[in-house]
Amino acid sequence: MSLNQRFPLAEAIEVDKLVEELRAEPAGGRLRVGDPRVVEFLTKFARKLLAPATARRFPELASLGFFLRKGEIAKALSTLETSGDALRFPRGLVFHVPPANVDTIFVYSWALSALAGNHNVVRVSSRSAGAAETVLEALNAALSEVDADTAAAITATQRMVTYDRSDAISGALSVAADLRVIWGGDASVAALRKYPLAPHARDLTFPDRSSFAVASVRGWQNASEAERRGAAEGFYNDSYWFDQAACSSPRAVFWVGDEDGAREAGQEFRKLLAEVLATKQHVTEPAMAVQKRVSAYGAAVDGLVNGIEFQGNGIATLELADPAVLPREWLGAGTFANARVDTLSDLVPIVLRKDQTVGQFGFSKEELTEFVTELAGRGVDRVVPFGSALTFSAIWDGYDLLTEFSRLVTVQA
Amino acid sequence: MSVFTLSQAEREKHLLPQLAELTAHHRENSEGYERILSSLGIARDASFGSIADLPWLPVRMFKTHDLRSIPESEVFKTLTSSGTTGAGASRIYLDKAAAGAQTKQLGATLQEVLGGERLPMLMVDTIGIIKNRRSFSARGAGVLGMANFGRKHTYVLDENDQPDVEAVKTFLATYGDKPFLIFGFTFMVWQYLYEVAREHKLDLSNGILIHSGGWKKLIDRAVDNTEFRRRFKEDTGLTRIHNYYGMIEQIGTVFLEGPSGNSLYCPDFADVVIRNPETWEEQPVGEPGVIEVVSTLPHSYPGHVLLTEDLGVYNGIDDGDWPGKHFSVMGRLPKAEARGCSDTFQGAAA
Repeated sequence: MSLNQRFPLAEAIEVDKLVEELRAEPAGGRLRVGDPRVVEFLTKFARKLLAPATARRFPELASLGFFLRKGEIAKALSTLETSGDALRFPRGLVFHVPPANVDTIFVYSWALSALAGNHNVVRVSSRSAGAAETVLEALNAALSEVDADTAAAITATQRMVTYDRSDAISGALSVAADLRVIWGGDASVAALRKYPLAPHARDLTFPDRSSFAVASVRGWQNASEAERRGAAEGFYNDSYWFDQAACSSPRAVFWVGDEDGAREAGQEFRKLLAEVLATKQHVTEPAMAVQKRVSAYGAAVDGLVNGIEFQGNGIATLELADPAVLPREWLGAGTFANARVDTLSDLVPIVLRKDQTVGQFGFSKEELTEFVTELAGRGVDRVVPFGSALTFSAIWDGYDLLTEFSRLVTVQA
Repeated sequence: MSVFTLSQAEREKHLLPQLAELTAHHRENSEGYERILSSLGIARDASFGSIADLPWLPVRMFKTHDLRSIPESEVFKTLTSSGTTGAGASRIYLDKAAAGAQTKQLGATLQEVLGGERLPMLMVDTIGIIKNRRSFSARGAGVLGMANFGRKHTYVLDENDQPDVEAVKTFLATYGDKPFLIFGFTFMVWQYLYEVAREHKLDLSNGILIHSGGWKKLIDRAVDNTEFRRRFKEDTGLTRIHNYYGMIEQIGTVFLEGPSGNSLYCPDFADVVIRNPETWEEQPVGEPGVIEVVSTLPHSYPGHVLLTEDLGVYNGIDDGDWPGKHFSVMGRLPKAEARGCSDTFQGAAA
């Protein structure tokens, strides 16, 4: 049972041989935190993603390319500067298990770990398609354009592989790793945890999460026509880009303010959202349209909702019977639970640890800070304006990833 | 008493009041159904201008929720079926009256092509399919339900799922010179009856074949309904072939292929609406859409107006073998899949 090496492209390899190669010290010396060879390679790779043809075909790759530009990388690395008695070093070998169906997460995870100076093996899903294939092509192309020393160091230390389900391989990679990174939800975490880690190693897990949006009625009323349209466009990107199935995509929208204002604002917002769908020529497949009705009607049967409204196949709005009982599971692309509360504070008791992203429109920084302070760690990892829900950041799910991917050594004379 | 008599106009006139009454009945007796309709803003006293105006439920609702209009104490039979999609099983609750009605109406429907008496019957299946009565597959339920309409049953497959050519030959020698009934699922009929009959030059010319179950497996072999009929006729002499379309969620209601083939007809207590998947408006003749099946049979659960996950097209209205709409099934809707952070894919992780 061997692994296919997708990057760098190479012959299939047995797992023991792969681990042995990854454990070896690269020519030109060990990788360091912020190693210039890695930075050089990543910036070359980023340029490929930002090429107009690629960016047009896969907008999510343009975001990735932007994230990996030289200036952005420098900014991220600057957060790692240590002071006093501490020095920062890579963790060692990191085994990444990304989700099969978000094509770009594995690259963020890998790139940050490589920036921290780790040797990495990434299991790319054999079901990956489209954007993921383009990423692998760009990685391999970038490798042939950097100088020979850089290429040799990257080749020795970074691998992206695919393999069919195998206890032997997953087990060997797990026990060899200093850190294991598991994306893809509860089931993936549970499946991977069957394989023991080395005693000093640990898991960084990204389990199932859910997200919701909040909109200030007063903020909406004070917003200009253009700002309101911008909110609808941003919300469209947050929600429809991954069929609303991304963990950061909102599944419920809470209008915060008085009843009449909330009703009017909600109606206008949905009208604008429908216009965005029309402009983008958004298509809802018939099977998805049926799925949405199954979910919506099911929520009605369960007593969760007391009003269902469809605007074409694209937007389904489910009026929650009780704002405190919101659906956190995926209900189909473009299906939004809708409710009104008086203040952000009313949402505090509703929040669970599982809640990840709060998309917001129309609130001040102070209001949001107060809300998060009041949450007191109950849940929610990030609050972002409409349009930024899917923007990946080096702080994710409450983890500062570069910190997680590195370790500190203290020196006292 | 034929149940293929009503023109479309007569059908509207005859069925609409019954269906509107059924809608009210289910609202009254199924809390879940009432919640759906009231959430959609459909008033309790709403009136409906036509059959196509009636609110429909996606057929998959019966896989995700228990919907019934009878108290638990009156449940006489619970039908379960796992669809081909594997998304759980439908649960359909029948009381005594509903169970009786579905058998009776299925009989009345098939009588159109079988005549009044029970015929000797070839089952294109194995007896094993109905042996384990505790865990019925949909196939087993179909075989068992159909067995009522014949006598002297002979199973074409032995216990090891191998064609029992001798048994078929014996059956034909005994009963083959008068009308006899053949039943099976489309794919099995092709693989085990057609191919065996052709190979052994069996004469099926007195047979009446009733079959169902989709063409997916046969399309791979480049066999569609027309080809299926042509080959049976040429190689076995079998010409009386009736495909039917039905589902456990509307048990007892089958849409039956007419004598000239390639079109399915609605019995007088049922109707069909082909909907545009964008607008959900009714499609004109010749325009494909999603099939909605309508039947006055479901009294014990709110399954009288159901949107299937099949695609179909009207071939015509009041211009075929029998009155009313007639249509073809074109296949299933592709599955809705979403990209997301979570892997619901089985075994993706290890």
